[in-house]
Amino acid sequence: LHQHCCKIFTFAYYLLLLLMHVNVQSKKHCKSIVVNEVNFVRKCISAESNQDDPWGKLICTNFKVSFIPQEAPPKQKSQLSHLLLGEHDIPLTCLEQVVTVNDTKGKKKVLGSNQKLKFNPTELILYCKDLRIIRFCFDEAGPESARKVCLAIAHYSHPADLQLLFGFEYQGRRYHECKGDYIVGGMQTPIFDRPSDWDREIKRTSASEWRVCSINESYAISPSLPEYIVVPVSLADQDLKQYSLYFTDRRIPLWCWNHPNGSALVRMACIVDPLHQRKIDQRIFTAITKSHTQRSEVIRSDLDKCLPNIQDIQSAFVKVRQICVLDPFEESEERWLSSIDNSRWLEYVRAFLKHSAEIVYYLEGKNVSVILQEEEDRDLNCVVSSLVQLMLDPHYRSLIGFQSLVQKEWVMAGHRFLDRCNHLKKNYKEESPLFMLFLDCVWQMMNQYPAAFEFTEAYLTVLSDSMWIPLFSTFLFSSPKQRAQHLMDFAKNKAIPQGEDQVVYFPPVWEWSQQFSIKDQTLFNNPMYVGKGAACVQNGEVKTFRRTKKTYSSTLRGTATLMRNGLKEGEDTLTRRGSLVSELKSEFSAVKDESPSERFFRDWFSRPADQQGLLIPLSMPSHVALWKLFFLRWVPEACIPRGGPITAYHKLSQLVDEIEILQSQLRQYKGPSPGNTPLPSPSGPPSDQRRMYFKASYPDDPATTPDFFTSSFPFTPVGNLCRRSVYGTPISKFLNGARIWLSTETLANDTV
Amino acid sequence: AFCLFSDKDIIYMCHFNGAVKGKVLITNYRLYFKSSDADVTVMLDVPLGAISRVEKMGGASSRGENSYGLDITCKDMRNLKFALKQEGHSRRDIFELLFRHAFPLSHGLPLFAYVTQEKYAENGWNIYKPVEEFRRQGLPNNKWRITFINKSYDLCDTYPTVLAVPFKSKEEDLRRVAAFRSRARIPATGGGYEGDEYQNAELVFLDIQNIHVMRESLKKLKDIVYPNVEESHWLSSLESTHWLEHVKLVLSGAIQVADKVSSGNSVVVHCSDGWDRTAQLTSLAMLMLDSHYRTLRGFQVLIEKEWISFGHKFASRIGHGDKNHADQDRSPIFVQFIDCVWQMTKQFPTAFEFNEHLLLTILDHLYSCRFGTFLYNCESAREQHVRSKTVSLWSLVNSKMDIYLNPFYTPESGRVLYPVASMRHLELWVTYYIRWNPRIRQQQQSPVEQRYKELLALRDEYLKKLEQLQLSDSSTSSRLANSPTANTSSTTSTPTQQYTHLQTPF
Repeated sequence: LHQHCCKIFTFAYYLLLLLMHVNVQSKKHCKSIVVNEVNFVRKCISAESNQDDPWGKLICTNFKVSFIPQEAPPKQKSQLSHLLLGEHDIPLTCLEQVVTVNDTKGKKKVLGSNQKLKFNPTELILYCKDLRIIRFCFDEAGPESARKVCLAIAHYSHPADLQLLFGFEYQGRRYHECKGDYIVGGMQTPIFDRPSDWDREIKRTSASEWRVCSINESYAISPSLPEYIVVPVSLADQDLKQYSLYFTDRRIPLWCWNHPNGSALVRMACIVDPLHQRKIDQRIFTAITKSHTQRSEVIRSDLDKCLPNIQDIQSAFVKVRQICVLDPFEESEERWLSSIDNSRWLEYVRAFLKHSAEIVYYLEGKNVSVILQEEEDRDLNCVVSSLVQLMLDPHYRSLIGFQSLVQKEWVMAGHRFLDRCNHLKKNYKEESPLFMLFLDCVWQMMNQYPAAFEFTEAYLTVLSDSMWIPLFSTFLFSSPKQRAQHLMDFAKNKAIPQGEDQVVYFPPVWEWSQQFSIKDQTLFNNPMYVGKGAACVQNGEVKTFRRTKKTYSSTLRGTATLMRNGLKEGEDTLTRRGSLVSELKSEFSAVKDESPSERFFRDWFSRPADQQGLLIPLSMPSHVALWKLFFLRWVPEACIPRGGPITAYHKLSQLVDEIEILQSQLRQYKGPSPGNTPLPSPSGPPSDQRRMYFKASYPDDPATTPDFFTSSFPFTPVGNLCRRSVYGTPISKFLNGARIWLSTETLANDTV
Repeated sequence: AFCLFSDKDIIYMCHFNGAVKGKVLITNYRLYFKSSDADVTVMLDVPLGAISRVEKMGGASSRGENSYGLDITCKDMRNLKFALKQEGHSRRDIFELLFRHAFPLSHGLPLFAYVTQEKYAENGWNIYKPVEEFRRQGLPNNKWRITFINKSYDLCDTYPTVLAVPFKSKEEDLRRVAAFRSRARIPATGGGYEGDEYQNAELVFLDIQNIHVMRESLKKLKDIVYPNVEESHWLSSLESTHWLEHVKLVLSGAIQVADKVSSGNSVVVHCSDGWDRTAQLTSLAMLMLDSHYRTLRGFQVLIEKEWISFGHKFASRIGHGDKNHADQDRSPIFVQFIDCVWQMTKQFPTAFEFNEHLLLTILDHLYSCRFGTFLYNCESAREQHVRSKTVSLWSLVNSKMDIYLNPFYTPESGRVLYPVASMRHLELWVTYYIRWNPRIRQQQQSPVEQRYKELLALRDEYLKKLEQLQLSDSSTSSRLANSPTANTSSTTSTPTQQYTHLQTPF
């Protein structure tokens, strides 16, 4: 039956393509097909009065819901301008719920796919996954066309099949239209779909006792593992094939990362067969111990037992979202803190940070390898393994490094993005914002160590928004195999020659030039970043940090040495017995009730933090905050005019731009000796190479805070969050957000 | 300061580290402790003025390890416990000494501010000159005049000598009004902004609680942050202290005042006596309206004017040198004001010339009794001795200004600043209220500020280098003046022109 329905749907879809071959070319290359449209629609901007509301045309295409105002409003300066989406556009994949209302009849209906609507809607409310709430009024529109548009939006936002997501349509056309003359940007990010990416990672972390294994080529062993994985050298392909039979989804242990001290971070699924558990465990443990340069023991952390599960996380997110964007602003002020508390979102953020820090202690402080274990190894393990690596390895705190981390621990490790994002809106039980939780944890670290990350919170927010734009391969699939299959079919359908790199014809989100101009991408750069080669002033002299791998590992080793109660570095490589003694010594603590890990953290916090070394976040509840830019950016009442973190970012950005101009001028001086050749007139770097969003100011410029700065920058709340003024309207009861968002059962209900 | 007491064998009962053996040193200014155990480094440095209560713990016959000693409660959100040997009443001396010197006024002793002989390059007492400040605001004018009616404090003994009053008010009227108002505190100008006086008065109640509620609220806050931060249901616990809610009400009251004033209305702010809420509301409103008060010196003037000269009862609210720790007059009204200022600096990181370090320093010396600034209840009591015999806190601050400056400061005169008084934005000031927790890295400066200063230094370094290169370049080009290449290069833009254009105005 399902297949049958799909066919009908697909047929209807192509029929529409034929019938309504109208291209909406509002943005370059992003032609989508208009399905339905209605005129004289009012977009609600303000809850109080409708005086400033723009009038225009509401369009549903096979990609997005578009509102085209009759009079083009002045372009808002503060807005990040998206290359494929206009100010009033919402991708269909971004729709969480489509609600139609008839005010006079007091009716409301949540629309799903292929449904009927027995009343003419006077209003359409779109609840978006990026937390926007957008409202349109049809008071002057033709009732029939309004109804049709609503139904079309509901229908097209519930695609029957993954291939119907607009990305497939779009990338196919883009491939053929731009063939040969487009630059593949953003490709410095390793995708980990080939052995060389893994090899580089092994070399970078000096994991000499680990090797790339290709037994899963063509997904021969496990459907959810990548084709190439890294395993202990002591395990032969044959052994691994045999072990794989005992693991959930045949997911054999995966190497994630190596500490310079030799300990490794490994992730694995559970062993299905209890009879073989001990045996398999033992072999795996022995192999990992053998791969440790000091043959240290292995510790297992069972994440299912100590962290919230995916349903807990989903319900916490639903609640925090409700509190931030749905509840009436003034009424929720009084109980704001306890409401946030009761959502448990921050508690979960803390739990993940804390547990990851605990793992860091084992790897760094105790010098032992750690196995992260989870039933399927596709959810909690992704969060914890990536957080541990962010804390330990500064490489992942660079932009490219971070993207490669997401690629390695999420995309390639088989995080089920398709199910967790619920792109097809089919199974709500599988929906869970794990990636969002991870981004929030990263933000917490960034908030505590603002100079340690190469990217900004705007970058993290834009990345989270990109989950809901179905044009990139990153967040569309549940496993590398699913991705490969879909892309192969896609290539066949779109006549893309075999052997063409998938990354070229269906790029990952990392190709930011598809979404933003070079200038707008500079908003991702953190001017405070102390990265490799960052210059600093020491005793009045400019010095450059050149962190070779050697100094990096020696700092790490230095801290490990400290932990061992004054044992010097040379003694690190003592015999087993010797190291055991030193370990026992470090267990002793003069401080009451203090565990060795607490002691380790206390020691670490008593020293100044090295931005390019180990970073442990404070996980005390007082130091874990709500991520305001993400949760409150659309809330007009929470917007601080001409204030917020952007005002400091602005100054930092200008200063760094000036420094970079000076650097470039100095470099030109140091060029060929001045005596022989005429000096080139020193100048700044070409404008397209300037990394900072805000350019150095000139002395004549007035030093003022630009008017368009708000705490929501680079986003704007204008028109993006229109809560109904709940009081006084007869249907206010029905629109109580709790019902709309909390319960998915209402989806089935017809009218209230 | 001179040493009064020292003991090499005392045990500090640390909430975090347990019993820590060490050395204690008490001077007439501070209590100093350093652990002797190499494994745990604990250091304490507590001005005696910050102590609100000293109690004996256990008796000579108490059993159990470390049960005999002292329990010290501080005004700055911490408690300290020391254990001593039971033999020979070793506690008696230290207890009596602490009791005398922590509460000198209860023992007929002078406050430390009168003992210390500190010298500073600048005299902070000169920061505020009332007539000059009125002049800066354009007073007197056709609406307001300056009166010396209170010259010898006979109109109102808790008001300053110089006042600005409505132009039309006669001295006789002022005297009559004074008789009716609580403690003769007549309405006088805060901000001194123009407008029609007393016409169509609109009464707005701001719902701000009294001083006792504020005191209890801060006490509850202390309970959840010291010694440990409440782990479970932190935000709910924070909510139940109501501290941030009170901060919000004060801020939103000030916003309403500022809004009325900036739209051309005069505002009379009053509470029962006009020295607690009034001081908070007027000074915060002035901070929002007048960018001058957001400078380092302007902020000092604001505190001198609205708090010190208008008679906020610092002595009663803080209880300087007084042993009566349960005095119902004590209340953290000024702490709450500084908290509100901090909230504003968080929302507008570039609008204030001073940084968080200044706010922390002010609060530390609110209690320390090292400076004369926050002593006494009003100007009339202060005038007699303070200025000549003590040092002003602003002497310390203005002699080392750079550590109190916010590098992000962008002066914008005339800009009115409206913070968002919403729980969405109000935060607990952890670097003040939770600073004694050893699990938090002690940072002198906010990391963002520190990074910006590093970058500023780097820029200056590059500018210097470029200048040197350009100098040596011009000397080479003058040597080669005849050569045509040198001429062409000097006609194109020279490095000097390039980089002087780029200096960020600062």
